[in-house]
Amino acid sequence: MSLYALIFYTLGAVILGATGLAITRRQVMHAVVYLVISFLATALLFYLLGAPLLAALEVIIYAGAIMVLFLFIVMMMEMGKSPESPGAYLRQWLPALLLGGVCLAVTLALLLGDSGAGAPLKSASASPLVFGRFLFERYWFSVEIASLLLLVALVGAWYLGRRDENTEGP
Amino acid sequence: MKIVLLLLLLFPLGGAVLNALAGRWLPRRLVETTACAAVLGALVLAVAALVLAGDRAHDLTFCSWIVSGDFSAAMNVHFDPLAAVMALMVTFVASLIHLYSVAFMRSDPDYVRYFCYLNLFVFAMLVITVADSLILVYLGWEGMGFCSYALIGFWYGEAANTAAGRKAFILTHIGDVALGVALAMFFVLFQDFSISHINAQAGALTPATATILALLLLWAAAGKSAQLPLTVWLPDAMAGPTPVSALIHAATMVTAGVYLLMRLFPVVQLSPVALLIMAGLGAVTACYAGLAACVQRDIKKSLAYSTISQVGYMVLAVGAADIVGGMFHLVSHALFKALLFMAAGIMIQALDEEHDIFKMGNLRRLMPGVAYLFLGGSLCLSAFPLLGGFFSKDRILLATFLHPDISYKVCWALAMVGAALTPFYSLRLYFVAFQERAGGPLKQDLRPYPRVMAWVLAPLLVLALADGLLNLPGGFGKNFLGHYLAPVPGARPDLGAPVWLEWAMGMGSAFLVVVMTWVTYRYYRRPRRGLRPWLHELLFQAFYLDRFYLAVVARPYQQISRFLWQRVDNLILDRGYIRLAQGVFRPYRALARFLWQELDQRVLDEGIVRTASGFLSLSALLGLWATGRLSTYLQMLLLGLAVWFGALAVSWYLW
Amino acid sequence: MVAMVPYSHVLALAGVLFLLGAACAVARRNLVMILIGVEVMLNAAGLALVGASLFWQQLDGQALVIFIMAVASSEVAVGLALIVYSHRRTGTVNADDYNLLKG
Repeated sequence: MSLYALIFYTLGAVILGATGLAITRRQVMHAVVYLVISFLATALLFYLLGAPLLAALEVIIYAGAIMVLFLFIVMMMEMGKSPESPGAYLRQWLPALLLGGVCLAVTLALLLGDSGAGAPLKSASASPLVFGRFLFERYWFSVEIASLLLLVALVGAWYLGRRDENTEGP
Repeated sequence: MKIVLLLLLLFPLGGAVLNALAGRWLPRRLVETTACAAVLGALVLAVAALVLAGDRAHDLTFCSWIVSGDFSAAMNVHFDPLAAVMALMVTFVASLIHLYSVAFMRSDPDYVRYFCYLNLFVFAMLVITVADSLILVYLGWEGMGFCSYALIGFWYGEAANTAAGRKAFILTHIGDVALGVALAMFFVLFQDFSISHINAQAGALTPATATILALLLLWAAAGKSAQLPLTVWLPDAMAGPTPVSALIHAATMVTAGVYLLMRLFPVVQLSPVALLIMAGLGAVTACYAGLAACVQRDIKKSLAYSTISQVGYMVLAVGAADIVGGMFHLVSHALFKALLFMAAGIMIQALDEEHDIFKMGNLRRLMPGVAYLFLGGSLCLSAFPLLGGFFSKDRILLATFLHPDISYKVCWALAMVGAALTPFYSLRLYFVAFQERAGGPLKQDLRPYPRVMAWVLAPLLVLALADGLLNLPGGFGKNFLGHYLAPVPGARPDLGAPVWLEWAMGMGSAFLVVVMTWVTYRYYRRPRRGLRPWLHELLFQAFYLDRFYLAVVARPYQQISRFLWQRVDNLILDRGYIRLAQGVFRPYRALARFLWQELDQRVLDEGIVRTASGFLSLSALLGLWATGRLSTYLQMLLLGLAVWFGALAVSWYLW
Repeated sequence: MVAMVPYSHVLALAGVLFLLGAACAVARRNLVMILIGVEVMLNAAGLALVGASLFWQQLDGQALVIFIMAVASSEVAVGLALIVYSHRRTGTVNADDYNLLKG
């Protein structure tokens, strides 16, 4: 097993572990922090898989903006521990585990039984220059649409979030 | 041209259909306007057709109507000068009568039915006028018969009116039987119903066949035009509204028979026997009706007998082979008879439905306008020198006299007797109704009537008086109508009489008329001796012709039908059917009760109610799915994904 | 070239990550946690795409990841704004409490 493979499996374990911990926390704040770890590991994985720009963007946007936004909201709203009955935890998780297990079994069986993708990946790297040129030459329209989408989200989030005399507050 | 003629027929038909369908919901003025506009439109189109036609005949086809094996009848039109003149006359008189009717029927609630039938009648008459195919003529013929029945019995609330309508219908149908037979014969002989074809090939007929055909046509015409022996329906038909009498019994229906004879004249003229019978019939009818008209008390009945008499003159003209004279008299008669009928209508309405002339009087002082209208009409009717009727009647008398056959001189003599009687009975009406009478109506007895009824008649008066200009025997405008009708087969524009004979006859008849006018005037001026009672009664009942028919035909028929009804019908009903029904009825009822209780209630009780409750529980079960919670829906999404993965795996590994 | 793991391993990792995110979205009742599950799922998709881009040696996968990030961020923004708004209106962020559509 080469070095890169070793790094890959390590990072994979970190990602899975962090995410697994994140989704089972009672406190939302804890979950957000674990998820930040997961995203940082994902960023490293992106770099390993030859997408340095995307790695940087993953850290900046996902871990840096989105998770911080989550933190803001969680801190703004007093949520605390969710009042659940003791037996409710299993009842909540049972359908998810069942169905998720089925999907997992099928997915792994399909993927690992496929002989075509058995060959190791050839590593490569797309520098930001190359990637940027590619993006703006081939997908410039989608870039424009994405920027429009962000504008729409901006307006929507502002509208929903504003407080004026007419809103009913708790 | 085709469009003009098609619209000429469709305008009155469209007016009738529109009023029939929607008249009940439209305002009164709109219904009346529609009816009048339809006929006025037809008048404009008739003028246009006259102008467009020129002086030749037009044969046009509208559409193919009946096609069956070898036989085919199309809706053909044969528009020659004869049809042009007739169409113009019909539409003109009908337009004036429609306008008059608007005022006449002003307080009648059934105006929709009235105008619908009136328009339909004009349509039927125009069909007869322009049609080429004899089947189409028959359609118009029967249509006219029906409309006449409907309009005579218009006020059907009284039994006498419906009886009059029925009588008219039955008697004209007796004539129509002959027309049907003639149609069949035409088809057998010519394999064609087209008048223009028949006229062109008329030379192929033997005199005997032509005689039979001509006599059949004469019988049909006698039915429609009220000639002997089928005259009895026309006096009774006066039960209808006066404008109806003016339209149907002055200008249009009664002339339809004569018109048909004129259209098929090439066939008719092949048989001298038929022509002689025609002339004789016409002359005798003219005399008969003239005598009967002399003693009538009802103003409308008197005018009815006068119509019978004048139509007799037209038939006489056809019998004397003078189509031009017949047509001329037809047009003149239409004008002044319609005028007289409508003026009589005004008098009747003003005097609160009084028909008896001997109860009228003082009207020259009370209604001077109507007095002049009526006087003008009467003078035209009596063929006063230089007025409308004079030249037309004179021409007919001349044509009869000139005929080589000696029997025609007898006809001429009878016609002269009729011509002498005409001023008597027509001016009698004027003198009795309009002169001063001690016990007559006073000014406050007159009911108010719309003046428009009199104004409509003014152009008619002018035309009637000036009508002679159409076909003057000499001088300026000589034989104008005759030359226009020259293309019609059988028409002779000029009778070819020596000038002295024309002048002699003209002077003679003028003198006769003036003398009879003075006699009438003097007779009704002073208290007069009446006729012997038996003579009076004979003339009043028109030689008892009506009673004769009643006794010989109508009564036995009624008795046979009553016998059949009471004995045969009632007995069969009483015994047979009721027992049969009772026999069938009981088991049927038992079966129905069984089916109802056992099957129906069981099915209803158990099956349907259970099905309904099953559906209710099923829907309640399904309702559990809609929890309204986000988590449930997300679980369902994951479930879907799992199912899809499972199917994928199964398919992948089982493949 | 330096050898790395087979592509199927990358897909397996992405798949497991995706199912973890799905389980989080399904099993948790807190609205914010559900949104976090959605974010994990989107991240997993991005991972699979980057692996695919390396496998096929083409950059289209990476371009798609950029757009996924853009969409994810706008969706999170609006979603969190909605959560804040609903919290203001009803005072709870428990998904089970929003059951007006029941029936």
